[in-house]
This record gives sequence, C-alpha cells and structure tokens, in this order.
Amino acid sequence: MRAGDYLALAFRSLRRSRLRSGLTISAIVVGATGLTIMLTFVTSVKSYVVNQFVSTGQNRQILVAQNSNLFYNASGDSGPGPAPVAAPAPAAGSPDGGSSQGSGAGQGGAASTTVTLAADLEAKIAAIPHVTGVAAVFDRGFGQIAYLAYGAKQLQANNLQGYEPDGVINPTLVAGRDLRASDASGVVLLTQDYADALGFTNAYAKLVGQTLVLHTTNGYTGVGATLPNVLPPQNDCGRQGQGPGQRPSPGCFSGPLSGLPSVDIPAQIVGVVASSFNHQTVYLPLSWMIGLQDQAQPKDIQYASQFRINGGNAPRPGQPGQPNQQGQPSQPNQQGQPGQPNQQGQPGQPNQGGGFGQPGPGPQGPGTVVGGWTRPDPAQVIADAGGYNSFLVTVDKTNQVATVAATIDRLGVNTATGLHELNNQKSKANVVGAILGGLGLIALFIAALGVMNTMVMSVLERTREIGVMRALGARRSTIRRLFTFEAASLGFFGGLFGVLIGYAFVLAAKPVISHSVTSGKLAGANFSVSLWLVVLVVGLTTAIGLASGLLPARRAARLDPVEALRYE
Amino acid sequence: MARTSLPYPVPDVSVTDLTVKADRPIAVELTNVTRKYQLGDEQFYALKGVTLSIGTGEFVAVMGPSGSGKSTLANIIGGLDRANEGEVVVDGDPLARMSDAELSRFRNEKVGFVFQAFNLKADSTALENVMLPLVFARMRPNERKARAAECLERVGLGQRLNRLSSQLSGGERQRVAIARALAMRPSLIIADEPTGNLDSARGEEVIAMLADLNHDGMTLLMITHDLGIGRRAQRIVEVLDGAVHDGART
Repeated sequence: MRAGDYLALAFRSLRRSRLRSGLTISAIVVGATGLTIMLTFVTSVKSYVVNQFVSTGQNRQILVAQNSNLFYNASGDSGPGPAPVAAPAPAAGSPDGGSSQGSGAGQGGAASTTVTLAADLEAKIAAIPHVTGVAAVFDRGFGQIAYLAYGAKQLQANNLQGYEPDGVINPTLVAGRDLRASDASGVVLLTQDYADALGFTNAYAKLVGQTLVLHTTNGYTGVGATLPNVLPPQNDCGRQGQGPGQRPSPGCFSGPLSGLPSVDIPAQIVGVVASSFNHQTVYLPLSWMIGLQDQAQPKDIQYASQFRINGGNAPRPGQPGQPNQQGQPSQPNQQGQPGQPNQQGQPGQPNQGGGFGQPGPGPQGPGTVVGGWTRPDPAQVIADAGGYNSFLVTVDKTNQVATVAATIDRLGVNTATGLHELNNQKSKANVVGAILGGLGLIALFIAALGVMNTMVMSVLERTREIGVMRALGARRSTIRRLFTFEAASLGFFGGLFGVLIGYAFVLAAKPVISHSVTSGKLAGANFSVSLWLVVLVVGLTTAIGLASGLLPARRAARLDPVEALRYE
Repeated sequence: MARTSLPYPVPDVSVTDLTVKADRPIAVELTNVTRKYQLGDEQFYALKGVTLSIGTGEFVAVMGPSGSGKSTLANIIGGLDRANEGEVVVDGDPLARMSDAELSRFRNEKVGFVFQAFNLKADSTALENVMLPLVFARMRPNERKARAAECLERVGLGQRLNRLSSQLSGGERQRVAIARALAMRPSLIIADEPTGNLDSARGEEVIAMLADLNHDGMTLLMITHDLGIGRRAQRIVEVLDGAVHDGART
C-alpha cells in the first residue's frame, strides 16, 4: 500500500467515528497545550536571561574583589556586611537577583587577603592574556549630596556609583546613552526607578537631556563649591539643640566649614538604565564622583580669637561633615538625607569628629584660610579607602573566562564570573522546565492510555472489515501499519491543536506575564512559541500516539482472516 | 453413506474414487487436505483427507449441509485458511509453503471473493470499494480509478460509481462486490453463497452475472444451498462431514 493510501484510509476511519476520535484527540490536546505553555515560558525566560548576559557582555565578565564572599551581580543594597561588592553594571541581567557564589569564594578567606585593588593590580590583570578590559569601580554613599532635585521634586539620594566609562560596562539602557570616557563631569545615568519617581514612567527618553540637581549639604567644599578665603561663622547646632523645645535644624552640623553654603550642582541626565539590581542608583564618572565626595581642605585656618588649626595635618576621615563612608556603600542613607539631622551635627555632640583640633563649644568667629585649599588626589582617596571596591574584567572569549578567573585568583584576590552565574540561571530554568515539562508528560501519558483504548475499541469494531481487507490482499503488516498510522494521526492532531491553543494562550497571556506578574522584569522576554517547540510537541504527541497504537495494531494484524470474516 | 439424507439427488460416485479428475488444465488441485481444529481436548475435522481438482474455467458448485466444511474448503482454496496436512496448489502456486505476505499477494492477484453478506465498506462509495484491492496492489491512483470504473461498468453500475454503498440496494451491493472481486482480474472467483441475502430475482441476476464471467473463462467456485443454482454449474462437489463427494459434470 502506498503512504498516501494509509493516510487516506486512516483519516477516513477517524472521520467515521468522529466523536470518539475527537474525545481522544482532546485528551492529547490538553497535554500538548500544557506542554507548549510551560516549555514556552521556561525557554523564553531562559533565552531572555542568556540574551541579557550575552548582550551586556556579562557572560565574558569577571568581578574581582577582596571579599571572599563574592557574589556576581549582588545588589548594592542587599547586605549589611562590609563592602559588599555591588555589581557596577547598572544592567543586571538575571531577573531574580540570583546569588551564585563566585569561583573565588572560599579561597583563602578575606581576612588573609592583603592585596588591595589598586592601580598596580589593575595593570597586572590587564596584562593577563585574553583580558580585553579592566574597569575599576568605586562605590560610595551620597555623602555630601543631601538630595536630588528635579524641578520642584526632591528625591532621596541613595546610592552613588562611579566607574570608568571605558566601554567595559554596558548597562542595559532604557533610554539615552552610557557614560563615555569623554564625560569628565556633569553627567549622570539614573536607574529606572529614579526616573519612575520623577514621573517619567515609560517615557524615559523624555528625561534624557534634562538637568538633575545634586543638592549638597552645608559646608560642602567638593567640586563646584566656591572656596572663600574667609570662612563664614560656623553652625551652632549644639547650642540650638540644647534649648528647651528646640530641635536642631535639618542637616545641621557644625565645624570650621559648616558655615559654607550648600551648593546646587547641575548634572545632565544622559541615560536611564534598567534598575533590576541596583535600585535608586546614580551612576557617574569615577573622577567626578571622587571630586564630589572628597572635599577640599584649607591648608590652615586662622581664627581671629584663640584657635589656630593646622588643617593640613588633620586626618582626613574625621573631617566634620565629611562622612567616613568609604567601604560602607551599603549604608548610603546615613548622611545627607534631607530632613534628617546629620550624624555629626547631633545635639550635644558638637564637633564630634573634628579633625581640626578642638575648637570647643560655642560659636566661632570667622576663620581665615591660610595657604589656600587643597583638593585630594583621587588616587590618594582610593588608597585611603583601601583600594577600589572591585574590578570588572572583560575577557575576549567565553571559554577563557574560567582560566582568566583562576589566574586572577592566584594574584590574591577573589573572583566571581558572570558565566558561572549565567550557567546557574540556566540550570535553574532547566530544573523548572523539567518539572513543568514532567507535568505535561504525565498528562500526555494519560492521553496515551486514551489512544490505546480507542484503538482497541476500533480494532474490535472493525474486525470484520479487517477480515475483508485480508481477503482482498492486505498483508498483516498492512493492517498493522494502518492501525498504527491511525493512532499516530490521533497523536499528531492532538499535538497540532494543542500547540495552536497553547500559542493562542501564550499570545493572550503575554502582556500579563510580561508586566504584571514579573513587575516588568521580563518585559524584554520574547514570549513566542518557537518552531522547534512546535516540532517537538507535535513530534512527541505523534510518537506517543504511534506507541499507543502498536499493541492494538498488533492485535488487528494477528487476527485470523477467517475468524474475522465470521465476526458479527 | 449419509448421502441419502441430502435434500437433493447426488450423482452416484464410487466411494473409493474420491480423486476428482478434471479434463482441462488444472486451476485448483487439493491432495489429501486436512483441516482440523482443536476444541478443548477433542479434535474436530473440518476437512479430512480431501483430494479435488478443478479445471481452468470450470464452474463448480460446492454443496452440502451447514457445518459440513464447504466454507473451509473455499477458504483453503482461496488462501484465507491453511491446511494442516496435504497439498494445495492453485494456479501453480503451492499455498502451503507460502509466507503471509506471499499468500496475501496470492489472494490479491489471483482470487476474487464474493461473500454472502457483501462485506462492503458502508461509508465508502462503490468506486472506493472496488478500488480497495487495487490499493493493496499499490496501483497508481489514476489507473485504479479507471480499472474500478470499468469493473463497475461491467456489472451494470456505471451510473452509480459515487454512490455510498449504504445507499445501494442489496442486489446492487452484491454487484459492487462482484466488481471488487473482478478488479484484480483474478483467475479464480470464490463466491460463498452469493445469493443468500438476496431475493430470488436479484439472486438470479447475480448468478447470471457470475455465470457470464465463467463463460468468459474465469474459474468459478460457488458455495450454495440452492440446487437450482447448483444445477447451472458444470459440476457439483458435495461436502459432507469434511469429505468431498465429487459430482458429475452437467
């Protein structure tokens, strides 16, 4: 018999018992629909994760830090521990904030690590073969920035990250552009949630080019401040606070420089980036960030009355109003928040951190700056902070990542790789896929029993017809194939309709899944039923139908033609 | 002999001479054929040492009471059933040594079956029913259509090719069955009580049609209860308790 004849005969007999065929197919449709939806969801999420990693180059990135408990892409506000390594790339790829232990975790331990992340180490890493770039990341709180202002809106300043825009970090831009090497100062990237807070939800492009004001606290002497020769009278927070019913004025702190006014520093928003990991973060060029954070110091101050302070010898970290924040990016709100008293300006503790000697309680007269101001050397700032927080190393080939990471490990620092994280994410998705797919398979197995039952009934019903076909010259193999083909057709149509219904379901559910359920995190995931999935599901159901038909078909083929012809 | 119990006269033949000689080229030759069934502990012989020859182009009527083994004889000759012992040679083919595939091919190419109950596919047209053996023979679709139409034309159903067989009358259905038996141009037609489900007028048409085919040279083996029909055969072979009693040629 020709293949086309098998087809025609099988369809004819399926058509003959429409209801039964329809019911049997329905059972397969249920299983195939479930399988399609589940597999589509899992593969879409997986490919989205992979795409994120690949498109941002994270699969070729190695995060280097001193921290032995290093996480790749750990969120900046995730841990209270000292110097958790925040992912410097604003574009964090994995949607669920996964935390895989890096390859360097557990090696040696942080306590024994004495290597600092400094320029010499950066150079060493850059010299390793296959390394295409090393970006140093310096992560600090807002410090002297009291709040962000956009028009009349004021936003809490949470997290400030500086990085060298050398092309290593490619944030997932929602709008605008990344920082460039030519961006020395005056430009920032905002995370999406900041933009949302400013009322630019889903209109991020409109925010690009707008000016954001970084409003400093009083006494600010960083970049953009006017540095006078005569210091205005310092704040008198302590005295104010001691009066009955009096509260310290917001942001009040005292110290020699506290009389200096706050400054509004304009910054152009050049881009908005996804905020999947680092929430409420402002990204800015590293050198500018250091300039904003690390204040100019007067060489010497001469007070009209009794005090003479040698400012040049003062230990920097203890400056009044100068938050000692290095290495504590996880507590970015400690200082400089509008409406909150500054740590160092608390009543009863005036001049607590004074590095300028002890001016003592009571109002100070105006001081004169002697010998001008010195601005800290960024390199010194970094050195004082104990080095960079992390390096982000880019490797030319994915298959070299592990080797390079091992080489960096031998330099005495710890590493975590994006590839490792990616594989982690992928295997997570695979596990979910296996579970969901397993459920679909169970449904299909039950449907297979239905097919078997249908075919057994069909053979019984058509016993006489089988006898006639045998008399007319059909071989056993012809009969067997005919029934197997029929069963496979049930599976095929079940699978086909199942995929169609599943596809329709995916189309209908796409907006819901993409936006509501995952709160926009998977908005970029491409939820579509891929061709291989169609082939897989239809092929699987066809194979299941075929397998279910084998036994009944064998029975049909083994019928004695004489007996079959006599069957009533 | 139990022959006296038959409702019709049976020509007297010697009990010892059970070998039937045909006076023309042999189409069917059975030698010592036994077909037995195991029923529990007992063996039941449907055919017991049957030896029979049928010449090419002969019209043989097989008669005998129900359960005598007529159908078993026909099925063995037609390759639907296998003998337990003895030789069966049809048109030169030794059926006993054939595989299932070979036997199926033999049935397809050399034998046309006509059944009492017509055994047509009810949901198929007359044309499709006639095409079925051609389908098994892997004939090209165009060719098989033409052939089936030609066969239906021959049985006078040229106007009803596309009628569903369920919409045809009994006589018409049996004519479709005859057309189907003819489709592969077999050398032997085995008709098992082809008029059993028809009234006498329709039955007469069918017999006339089969006789006509025989006249054209086709060997015809017809099982019948009807002596009137048996008389139109050239020879009556009587089967009784699994044994064959060859009748005289008419």
